Amino acid sequence: MWRIRIHGRGGQGIKTASQILGSAGFYSGFQAQDFPLYGAERRGAPVIAFTRVSEDPILERGPISSPDIILIGDETLLNDPQSAPLCGAEPSTVVFVNSAQVPEVLSQKFSVTTTNLTDLCFQYLNHRTVYSSALSAVGARLLGNIELECLLRAVEDELIQQGISSQLLQGNLDLAREIFEMIQPVAVSQREEKGLTAKPLVFPSQLPVVDGAPIILDPGNMALRKTGNWRVERPEIDYEKCNNCLICYARCPDGVIGVAPDGRPEIDYDHCKGCLICALECPGHFIHTVKETGTFP
Amino acid sequence: MKTKIMLTGNKAAAWGARMAGVEYVPAFPITPQTEIIETLAKWFADGTLQGKFTNMDSEHSMFMAAGSAGATGVRVFTASSSQGILHGMESLYTISGWRTPMVIVNVSRALATPITLEPDHNDVMSTRDCGLIQLHAETCQEVFDFILMGYRIAEDPEVCLPVLVNMDGFYLSFTREPVLIPDEEAVRNFLPLYTVTQPVFQASRPMARASAVFGGATYTSFKLQQELASRSAEKCFNQTAQEFEKYFGRLYEPVEAFHLDDAEYVFVMSNSFATKGKSAVMKLRRQGIKAGLLKLRLFRPFPSEAIASALGGHAKVAVIDQNLAPGMGGITYPEIVTSLYDREDRPEKILSVIGGLGGKDIEDQDFMAIIEHLDKPDMQTPLYLYDEGDASGFSRLQQIAKLKEALS
Repeated sequence: MWRIRIHGRGGQGIKTASQILGSAGFYSGFQAQDFPLYGAERRGAPVIAFTRVSEDPILERGPISSPDIILIGDETLLNDPQSAPLCGAEPSTVVFVNSAQVPEVLSQKFSVTTTNLTDLCFQYLNHRTVYSSALSAVGARLLGNIELECLLRAVEDELIQQGISSQLLQGNLDLAREIFEMIQPVAVSQREEKGLTAKPLVFPSQLPVVDGAPIILDPGNMALRKTGNWRVERPEIDYEKCNNCLICYARCPDGVIGVAPDGRPEIDYDHCKGCLICALECPGHFIHTVKETGTFP
Repeated sequence: MKTKIMLTGNKAAAWGARMAGVEYVPAFPITPQTEIIETLAKWFADGTLQGKFTNMDSEHSMFMAAGSAGATGVRVFTASSSQGILHGMESLYTISGWRTPMVIVNVSRALATPITLEPDHNDVMSTRDCGLIQLHAETCQEVFDFILMGYRIAEDPEVCLPVLVNMDGFYLSFTREPVLIPDEEAVRNFLPLYTVTQPVFQASRPMARASAVFGGATYTSFKLQQELASRSAEKCFNQTAQEFEKYFGRLYEPVEAFHLDDAEYVFVMSNSFATKGKSAVMKLRRQGIKAGLLKLRLFRPFPSEAIASALGGHAKVAVIDQNLAPGMGGITYPEIVTSLYDREDRPEKILSVIGGLGGKDIEDQDFMAIIEHLDKPDMQTPLYLYDEGDASGFSRLQQIAKLKEALS
């Protein structure tokens, strides 16, 4: 069995990538299974999806804790503790990062492949942040046992179900083909089964009700959760031109645009989720959007 | 023409309803079930399905509408989950008493409080005593097949009860795997369009279907009729399963035995986590431990005899309940122990295990921990699948939630 885990953000096509890969495996004559994992729907928040491809019946369900291949669609997730894209990786795990270069922290530990999918997606789809076809093409090629025609059939089947235009579908097919032909297959070794050991279980002790019931006495702790790392694109105010009209401040659905003592709007990047409503609403178009790169501090 | 396609459990459920030729679907959305009714809504809107799809104002109204429509003699389908099916619970007792057939899909999701979206079986176990026939599915294929079988059972003149098909949220509802969809002709041969075999509401012939009764004896008579109808559904299930095999080649017993013959340790499980149990059984066997698994499929009526025959003669049994009745423990455990009470060959040890609550994974190492626990001379029951990491994670969250000054 080959276990593929795909990391990205809500809205980047991560679930669809796992489904295209699952269908491509299925059309190639394998047993296949795919499964997404995310909380309540949140654009930009970390999303994980899983695909299993196997010659034998698949007796596994749910998350893959020890993957053979990890596909990271968004390199800004590398240090994200919630996404933890490298969790459970072993030296034999093949890691792919959508990046122009191999991040140094990875190259010493894993067999890492990178390609700048973002630019390719822009070239073929006129969009920088939807990686469904691109990532599934990478996965299919790395696996090495999936035919190009099965991949393309899967891209077509999954995207038609989502109701995309024929022009955009063609772009996705061309993109998938280009990536499939560009990436080199990596020999993914089948892992040896480890002997089973018993998990050390504990008997829970009874706590006073204040701890035993889901009571929160420290309200407002949502600020501790830095939702700024959901951001795929970053709004930046051009203060040379901003006239402090504060429409961005009024329109921000998360209240993360404040007003500085001198009357200028200020974006709290620790919590801005990158919805970019401010950029749309700014009457003078003085808020620019910049794609996030690197990892969130 | 039959096809094999990649479907989520939810899509497989929608396909089951579609191939059954359902005529009426009252609906109310809830995660993780919504994909079922979204898919059906689309098919009704584009003419793929002929009939009526209605968005209701709550699950309570939804089940009443389903029961009422069933009482007019049309084939009815609906679906719910978790808080939703609990909100409709009064209606479930009511419509099963009406004795109107239908198929309901429940997508298991754990119950508040605290609230979550992930699965365990307290929702479906809460409907255990409502008088529904219950089939629990492990795979997306079983979801599809059980809906077709469900209509045969629900509409059988000796049963005339709603059938509930259960699947786990996420682990099945959002998981895609290959599902064989038979051609329509084969489905129609197995499951003809609905012919009513009992009086139904018609404008031309007034009737009542929910009489008030007092004094107890009449009430008892009707309730005992419901009990006998439910019990007769086991025979009906077996006959239906044989017919199903004839047409589609898959045979469903009320329980599934997996490597049971020479097993010294048996895990009893249901729904999608049974797949994990099977995988653990294979790994344990490769390590020389004779493990096996018994999967519950038909849960109401409870197939006591089939369960007792399967478990009799095995030394150590662990009943894994992904549900919790606080103050008692696992809900299926006492039912299984009761089934074995009269047998001389009953297992020497039957352990109750509580695990998988709120979608918590049950891992290979948990199965090994169960084996070790069964081997202890002073084995305590129940065993909670809860470890050091769970406890420390919990106390870390408590640190964030509690402002220590507020406590003093």
